[in-house]
Amino acid sequence: MTFKRYMKAGALLAVAALGLTACGGDATPANTPAAPAESTPAAAPETTPAEETTPAESGDVVEIEYLHRLPDNEGMQLVADVAAKWNAENPNIQVTTTKFAGEAGDMITKLEADANAGTAPCLAQLAYGEVPEMFTKGLVMDVTQEAAKYRDNFGGAFGMMAPGGVSVGLPQDNGPLVYYYNEVAFKELGIEVPTNIDEFLAAAKTAAAAGKYIVNFTAQDTRDWLSAQAAAAGDAWYTAESDQWVVNTNGEGTQRVAAMWQDLLDNKATATHNRWDDTYTAAIGDGSLIGTIGAAWEAAFMLDGSPTAGQWKVALLPDFGAGQMSGPWGGSGVAVMKGCDHPAEAMEFNNWFNTQLDALASQGLVVAALGDVETPAAIAEAFGGQDVYSVLAEANAVMSDKFAYIPGWSTVGDPVGVAAAAAVDGSGKVADIFTAAGTASVKALKDAGLPVKE
Amino acid sequence: MSTKLATTADGLQYRPSVEGMPPRSIAPKTPARVITTVILVVALLYFLVPIAWLIIASTKNNADLASSFGFWFADMNLADNWTKLMGWTQRMFPRWVFNSVLYSTVAATVGTLLSVSAGYAMAKFKFPGKNLTMGVIMGGLLMPIALLTIPLYVVFHNIGLTNTMWAVIIPSVVSPFGVFLGRVYAESSVPTELLEAARIDGAGEARIFFTMVLRLLAPAMVTIFLFIFVATWNNFLLPLMMVNSTEIMPVTQGLYGMMSYFAPDKGAVMLGALLGVIPLILLFVFLQRFWQAGLAAGSVKG
Amino acid sequence: MTTHIQGAAPQAVAAAAPPGRRRRRSKDRHEALTGWAFLAPFVLLFVLVFVIPIVVSVIESFYKRVPSGGGLFGGGEPVRTFIGMENYAEVASSSTFWLGIARVVGYAAIQIPIMIGVALALALLLDSFLVRRPGFFRLSYFLPYAIPGVVAAMVWLYLYSPGMSPLLPYLPDGFSFMSPGVILASMANMTTWTYTGYNMLIFLAALQSIPGDLYEAARIDGASGWQITTKIKIPLVRGAALLAVLLSIIGTIQLFNEPAIMYTANPWMGENYTPMMMAYNNRNLISGMGFSSAVSVMMALIAGLLAVVYALLQRKAD
Repeated sequence: MTFKRYMKAGALLAVAALGLTACGGDATPANTPAAPAESTPAAAPETTPAEETTPAESGDVVEIEYLHRLPDNEGMQLVADVAAKWNAENPNIQVTTTKFAGEAGDMITKLEADANAGTAPCLAQLAYGEVPEMFTKGLVMDVTQEAAKYRDNFGGAFGMMAPGGVSVGLPQDNGPLVYYYNEVAFKELGIEVPTNIDEFLAAAKTAAAAGKYIVNFTAQDTRDWLSAQAAAAGDAWYTAESDQWVVNTNGEGTQRVAAMWQDLLDNKATATHNRWDDTYTAAIGDGSLIGTIGAAWEAAFMLDGSPTAGQWKVALLPDFGAGQMSGPWGGSGVAVMKGCDHPAEAMEFNNWFNTQLDALASQGLVVAALGDVETPAAIAEAFGGQDVYSVLAEANAVMSDKFAYIPGWSTVGDPVGVAAAAAVDGSGKVADIFTAAGTASVKALKDAGLPVKE
Repeated sequence: MSTKLATTADGLQYRPSVEGMPPRSIAPKTPARVITTVILVVALLYFLVPIAWLIIASTKNNADLASSFGFWFADMNLADNWTKLMGWTQRMFPRWVFNSVLYSTVAATVGTLLSVSAGYAMAKFKFPGKNLTMGVIMGGLLMPIALLTIPLYVVFHNIGLTNTMWAVIIPSVVSPFGVFLGRVYAESSVPTELLEAARIDGAGEARIFFTMVLRLLAPAMVTIFLFIFVATWNNFLLPLMMVNSTEIMPVTQGLYGMMSYFAPDKGAVMLGALLGVIPLILLFVFLQRFWQAGLAAGSVKG
Repeated sequence: MTTHIQGAAPQAVAAAAPPGRRRRRSKDRHEALTGWAFLAPFVLLFVLVFVIPIVVSVIESFYKRVPSGGGLFGGGEPVRTFIGMENYAEVASSSTFWLGIARVVGYAAIQIPIMIGVALALALLLDSFLVRRPGFFRLSYFLPYAIPGVVAAMVWLYLYSPGMSPLLPYLPDGFSFMSPGVILASMANMTTWTYTGYNMLIFLAALQSIPGDLYEAARIDGASGWQITTKIKIPLVRGAALLAVLLSIIGTIQLFNEPAIMYTANPWMGENYTPMMMAYNNRNLISGMGFSSAVSVMMALIAGLLAVVYALLQRKAD
């Protein structure tokens, strides 16, 4: 995947062209401030034996670049500040952090282009669902030996960064599903927090009779939201059999989930807002939506400025028939990119950074590393003083460790969304969503040239 | 109005133009004026209603955006949105606006000159390879630019310009569309006889271009300038690939970054967008005077 | 567009009159050199910014990334493999692609004439001295184009979304901007809102380049305002109109922003609703950019074909 040959010709032409603009561009103000002199901050350490950056005792300073897309909003502990702490303590391993100002998909595109150009950062944030395909694409590095040293700092999520047992980095945050509900509204209706599917259906119908919804079915981001429920019902969609993928998106657990939603939709006992539409926000605010199955990381913002903030609580998911479990919606880790010259040092920082519990929690994350985190004040306030993070930690602890993603997961989302929209408007069934997921998964694996059993 | 008549050299009578007014001869009648005004105002509403909504929205928080009536104000959150905008961008917002002004101005200035010069060459000179070049430039428009930014990134990496302002400016300078506009305008408003006359007078080609052609093409240049300026301002895919450092980020990329997170403060983003449009309005007002038709007319007479 | 009559004449003269030939030839050469000199700066940058990336992209469309190792994850060391026309075959046999093409062609057939017609009408009205403050109108009509697409997206989602829209109360019950039958029209409205002012400026610039004394002369000859418009102005903006239509055709085949915005709220559309969405949303495939490049190239060929057909029809009509 190199464009090098064409690029050489391109570079020549380009130089010619640049010379030309320099001559012809007298209309350009001469005082345009020069670009900040940092064209290649950490690109090629091997050619720079004597860096002038930080005076280090031993002389050799390793430079690590870390590309992330954490929010870094006001009031959070900024990634750059956390890294500065590390830099002060580790003069020989200097880390530069960059926040990517775009969507996750854009960042993948950028990382791939970087890799082609040979300038990929050493460390990059990747969603768990993206890790397997980044590995198949050959863009991340095998750091199994290094990762093993830090394994004890992390729980089950460690495996999310190790497709096929090959570690490519360390986990950062998890997104176990939980059940959010408006406690005040629940009391008014006289309903209890449901603990299994039957109770859930009954409560939903009671609320619907009073014009309220205790849950919402979203046709947006349905892939992760429903696959996480299948996981919470005890299923794994992707398993291996004699070095071949086996795709089964229609196991018993998945069928229970499908039947539950079909029942709710048929009886109009669920709201059907897209998760990221403002109608969803409005429904939470006007009190018509009084419960929702969501990811743990939604706690950080779902009640922002909402009139019903303070009335809500968090609980574990109802038992979907396989015991008290949860499933993963999202979550991400920090991977070492191929081309990194100092993977050992990069992993050292990776481990340190991802065990800065309070700093990561301040970014709204449910941290993957083990250890207790205090609920940030703003979140506690939105949930009526509840110790939200202890519930989230409980959910994290019961999260299925069977559910793994396939390379090509990113292409499964669209067909699932189409089928989910059909289920919402009645032209399709919930079961079709899972069929679509299966078909798309097999196609994705085949297109990627990977072995799949049919 | 005056009914004074004048007589032309060959004896025809006509109403001469009054200073500051449209030529009397083409000044229209009142009913036409009323109908026109009505049509223009209706069009004005069509274009401005969404913008009015945007202005109002920039004073709201997320909850009010979701629940209050769109065309009227709810709680005034303007100051709050400004604080959020500055907080989220870590006080870089004004810097980003400055960056955008700089990139767009440079790109539009150079791009306009290049476009008009190329368009003039296409319109007024014969040379081998002209039609082929024309075809290739047209062909360049056919491929979606969004996907070309990826190989372009590799090109710019090879010449060592990624993560510099040049990586945003240089690609923005190249506007095939500007060339076509330049060509069309040059064909219609640069009379060949005028060029011939200047050549006979001994003027060099460069001088003809810079002193005469550019003046004749003033309205066209203003248009091309505006187009390149706005296109550079609004392009975020290019800087998204090319630029990492927050110091050299343009404002639209910053807003896009803000939008690409869960539950962004939408009011703050909209405020940011509105503040970003202000320089553009100022520019437009400033460019108004170059729009006057008289410029072109005056020089043709000579 | 250009007349080449003058180009043919000198050669004939030169053949008949040998003594004049050298002078002519040197004049031709001078003209050619000057022409290229004016063209060269643009062309050089064009090669850098367009030609090289396009060539790279086209080459990529013949390749695919294939895992080299075995195992469930392919070993993590893929190789770039030449696969000939395979990517093209996949695009050409994809009904989704052709459905997308049908959508954008239909969209172009309806939306472009409306937008160009309105733009031309507004330009003519503003150029007619019928209003006192054309500058204000000019600016206001152009303003939508100046709103960044990311932000315009937000605005339209609010204005269109059922349950949110402040416009719906004024419309018949049950009407939705986002229902399958209406959604293309809703997108067309967004395109029209954004680009009418832009096209209007193209026309205005052409109109303003017309010397004012031309009108005065016409009036003296007894022409009415209507006649001046239809007999002088419209013919003189023909070149600009052709250009505006051609660019709109190309832009519409690449239709992306509007459907991509709608898709975020309407998952039923699918991420391959238009060919450009198909190309963009498949850019990160495990098999590489090849498929996406092939979609782009096919799209470019179709857009080119349509543009040529339109230009030829237009020439025939002239």
